[in-house]
Amino acid sequence: MRSKEPGDDKFACLVCRMNLSGLTVTKIILWLLAITIVSFVIGGGILAMSGDLPGGHGKTASPFVEGGSPGNTSSFPLEGATSGTVSITMEAGELTVRGGAPEDTLMEATVFGRNAEWQPVITESVNGSQKIITMTDKGHTAKEWVAVHSPNTWDVQLSNQVPLDLTVHTGAGDTSLDLSHLNLASLVVENGAGDTEITFGSAPVPGPVEISLGIGDLTLQVPKTSNTRIIIHSGVGDVSSSGFAEQGGFFTTPGYDLDRPVTEIRMKQGVGSASLEAV
Amino acid sequence: MLQNEQEFIRILRERLEGTLAREELDDIVSDYSEHFRMGKESGRTDEELCKSLGSPEDIARELKALHLVKKAENVKSCGNIFHAVIATLGLGLFNLVFVLVPFLLLFVMLFVIFIVGVLFAVFGPVGFVFSLLQLAGQPAFAIWLNPAAGAFFAIGITTMGLLLIIGDYYLARFFYRIGIRYLKWNISVITGTEEI
Repeated sequence: MRSKEPGDDKFACLVCRMNLSGLTVTKIILWLLAITIVSFVIGGGILAMSGDLPGGHGKTASPFVEGGSPGNTSSFPLEGATSGTVSITMEAGELTVRGGAPEDTLMEATVFGRNAEWQPVITESVNGSQKIITMTDKGHTAKEWVAVHSPNTWDVQLSNQVPLDLTVHTGAGDTSLDLSHLNLASLVVENGAGDTEITFGSAPVPGPVEISLGIGDLTLQVPKTSNTRIIIHSGVGDVSSSGFAEQGGFFTTPGYDLDRPVTEIRMKQGVGSASLEAV
Repeated sequence: MLQNEQEFIRILRERLEGTLAREELDDIVSDYSEHFRMGKESGRTDEELCKSLGSPEDIARELKALHLVKKAENVKSCGNIFHAVIATLGLGLFNLVFVLVPFLLLFVMLFVIFIVGVLFAVFGPVGFVFSLLQLAGQPAFAIWLNPAAGAFFAIGITTMGLLLIIGDYYLARFFYRIGIRYLKWNISVITGTEEI
């Protein structure tokens, strides 16, 4: 049996250290390799299940949104029309509607996300002096559990110039309507689930204004000077008001006068609170 | 053409000062002085000895290249291999093709791999954060076709970047060793000596 030589411990320690060092680096590399492969496989799997797998049907082989920039803007000119009808239907996502479309343009819509599946179908036609636009969500073919929170977000700017009949139907998601600068003729809003914010301007809306809510909270703002009356069909949830006078279930702005042009809002409350603010 | 030992030694010393350590320089000078002494003892003149040795500038260039290659071999660093390559270039114009071009190509390749690795390693976490923001419903950060898939792709890109950086390190070490051997072989071919 070989006796233990002086320096053996030192040598063994050195070898041990070298082995350990090599093993650690090897382990790190193997772990990184494994994580890389597994990550790409899972990512590809999710894309395949969600129907977004690149490479097929003219799609580029990239997991990124095509074009890099998420915003895709389309403009729809008035084409000489003196009034407009805009109907927006979104199944799921976030919708913002506001005034400020460029001159002689009835609608300018920005859809975030250039994936073809997220693009709405937009039709336009002119009926006499009226321009009609419909903007409709095609609906996702993807499985919802992997496609949840897809960036289906629309930012719609409407013309301040011409009288406008506006209809907004949303399935699920938050809706923000800043109508303060619009020349509204009538308004219909239906929201399935999600929070809704609506801001009216001081100009009266001559036609019907109907708001129907499903599940979610509503914040509704009108100017105190707008001569507005709100009629609520209460649902499940609180109704709070600020700056309004309540008369027999009606909420009216200060100095409400039927002899002057009025805005009458009929609201059907669903499940959720409604906050009415006269500012 | 040099005519005497003193001038030969002076030029040799001047050319090697600053590159070689004092002791090493003294050893070399001592070797050449010894060569002159022995030559004179055998009846040869300074002029003949100078002629047989060749130009002290050429000798200094060879010694300098040799020294820097050995230094690069002993102490591995970018600076040392760079100095060794530059010194080797001085041995002949054709080394622009046989040394500089391969060296530059290798350097560019390793640099590109490193930069790609760093970009991946940086973009990965950024892409991961973007996927989380996209999942949270922030459209301005919607860079992924699918944010859940994007999160995994971002992790994969990060680890791939780290792998590239690590791989680049080992590749650089491998080419460093090969490069040193090549420079030694190159010097030996040029000087007509055995491989160092």
